[in-house]
Amino acid sequence: MIKVGVVGLGKMGMLHLKNCCFINDAKVVAACDASKSKSQKARGMGIKYVYNDYKDMLKSADVDALIIALPNFMHLESICAAAEAGKDVFVEKPLAPSVDECEKIARVVEKYGVKLMVGHNYRFFDSVEKVKNEFEIGIVGDVELATFELALNGPFAPAIEPTPVPEWYFTKEGIGMGCLDSGYHLIDLFQWFFGEAEVLYAHLGYRYHLPYEDSAIIVLRSKNESAKGVLNVGWFSKAIFPKFDFRMILHGTAGFMSTDQYAPKNLYVHAAKEGMKNVLRRLFGRTISPLTYTYYYASYAKELKHFFNCIKTDSEPLVTVDEARKNVEVIERIYQEYGKVIPYESAEKLHKIYTQ
Amino acid sequence: MKNTVSLTRVESFNERGIKEAAYHTLDMLNCKPSGNLKHVMIKPNLCYYWDYSTGETTDPRLVSSIIDYIRERWNPKTEIAIVESDASAMRTRHVFKMLGYEALAEEKSVELVNLSEDETCEKEVTVGKQKITLPLPKSLLECNFFINVPKLKVGPYAGGQCLHITCALKNLFGCISKPRKVDYHPQLSEVIVGINKLVKPNLTVVDGIVALGKHPVKLGIVIAGEDNLAVDFVAAKVMGYNPWRIKHLRLAAEEKVGDVKDVEIVGENIENICKVFPKRSRLGFKIKWGMQLSLLRLYIKISGDVVPSVLEKM
Repeated sequence: MIKVGVVGLGKMGMLHLKNCCFINDAKVVAACDASKSKSQKARGMGIKYVYNDYKDMLKSADVDALIIALPNFMHLESICAAAEAGKDVFVEKPLAPSVDECEKIARVVEKYGVKLMVGHNYRFFDSVEKVKNEFEIGIVGDVELATFELALNGPFAPAIEPTPVPEWYFTKEGIGMGCLDSGYHLIDLFQWFFGEAEVLYAHLGYRYHLPYEDSAIIVLRSKNESAKGVLNVGWFSKAIFPKFDFRMILHGTAGFMSTDQYAPKNLYVHAAKEGMKNVLRRLFGRTISPLTYTYYYASYAKELKHFFNCIKTDSEPLVTVDEARKNVEVIERIYQEYGKVIPYESAEKLHKIYTQ
Repeated sequence: MKNTVSLTRVESFNERGIKEAAYHTLDMLNCKPSGNLKHVMIKPNLCYYWDYSTGETTDPRLVSSIIDYIRERWNPKTEIAIVESDASAMRTRHVFKMLGYEALAEEKSVELVNLSEDETCEKEVTVGKQKITLPLPKSLLECNFFINVPKLKVGPYAGGQCLHITCALKNLFGCISKPRKVDYHPQLSEVIVGINKLVKPNLTVVDGIVALGKHPVKLGIVIAGEDNLAVDFVAAKVMGYNPWRIKHLRLAAEEKVGDVKDVEIVGENIENICKVFPKRSRLGFKIKWGMQLSLLRLYIKISGDVVPSVLEKM
């Protein structure tokens, strides 16, 4: 059994914590968050050791692996500390807000020989997996043109229990990047399918007058293959859960395919089917697949399962540190050449904003 | 004397078209403030970080037209403030910036006021047999002339517990200083009526340019009136609802928040507009939403599955 510590108990940290309860090979034994109410919530969920500082967790808790779901600017410090302590790490994307930090992380991880996987959950969507398999077989031939689309509400997605959007989402310093934080997934998919990319063009939009972009059109070209891709991403859309405005389309020399072909046509029918499967699993004493009824959130449990399996079998995770670095490199290039350069402030200043 | 509500169609969905419609509506209403108009407060509906095109919030171009109208027709020296208060999930300082009101304020030299940061006084009001105490911003109570600029929409609120028209009366709910307004949801209709007994707008101009029903729709209509309740009765009819069947409107009429008996509608014909409004069925919503949540709760109980953070505390 892999003993896990969850660092950061915001939306993503909590989601990972909940998902871990359904993974047979792992057990969350410790959790930490700077907010006392959040760490107390984890205690209420049966987590034995609860901390307000991950350094204390690393010193005293007996954990094998960490799930890090802290703001991007805290990734470098926390990953390095975990690696030095010999813990395997699963970290939310992006690996870090700059290539420089990604490289530092890569060196530390290599030095201490721990596993590091970045949460590229879009690779784990059923629809993406199916398109990837068919693409690898060669069904569409050589892909000349590809389209990747993702329009969300970003940090402004409302919840049933209304709570204010955290202040750090409204500052350049706090967020580090704008909707390219989501565009990261599309860049990752492009590079995963077609290899390292170069940026041909980008346009960043600022409809909502935020200090960062809320829409982007990016044109990428694969360095090794002929594939060219248009990536449309935005944080301007009111589409509310369970609606999910994501798709990728491959136009190849032998045909075309889209994730829409494999995504549920009706999310409610999908929820009913998946829910029924879980009820049956429960009735027959098997472990259920959490959140599969939502379609979108199912990918998070799958990526965690994959990570723990890599630890167990001592195999390489599907997402490598180098791939994660290359995504950040593309984003840096977009900002440098086509958009407002968002200054990356010191961790100390950012920490102040975050904990306000 | 008849209570006039004016309706004007927006001919083109641009700044000029909106301005022409706003001017025409206000001219038809023939509203003239008495005395020297020193200070005007304008309260748009800025409930969340979604802009006018979603049908959720007031179009800043309509507010801009009203500012121009005040200065051109009434008094060029009037001091104008655009006001809003924090909500459970929204912060006014951010919403002003994100929805273009900061840029508008700079262009028109008007003030932006966060009513939640204003000096507050507790006001007690009786609605039916119920006594309600509401924290209200002092500046609003002392205001010289108050213009309510709501959005024409119908949507689920009170945590999805009910479906209501959200127009003139409901927009004043956003004048309550307390940010965590979700606390008022269990007695929402009473609180809406209560705030409308305490705060009386001198003029209401409804943004029906992009309205919201089952989905957003370019309805292209501006409604104006001096009686907030009469405007809401007309707005309800425009959206195809019987106002007497909407709880907070019926309660407001019973509490004599306004006069709905002798309303004269001038301008556009309501029947033509309500045909294009994508009406949302109240019963359908209640069944669909209520059933979804009940089924999900039941499923969670049986399967032991979890809910994502967006659905927590459902």
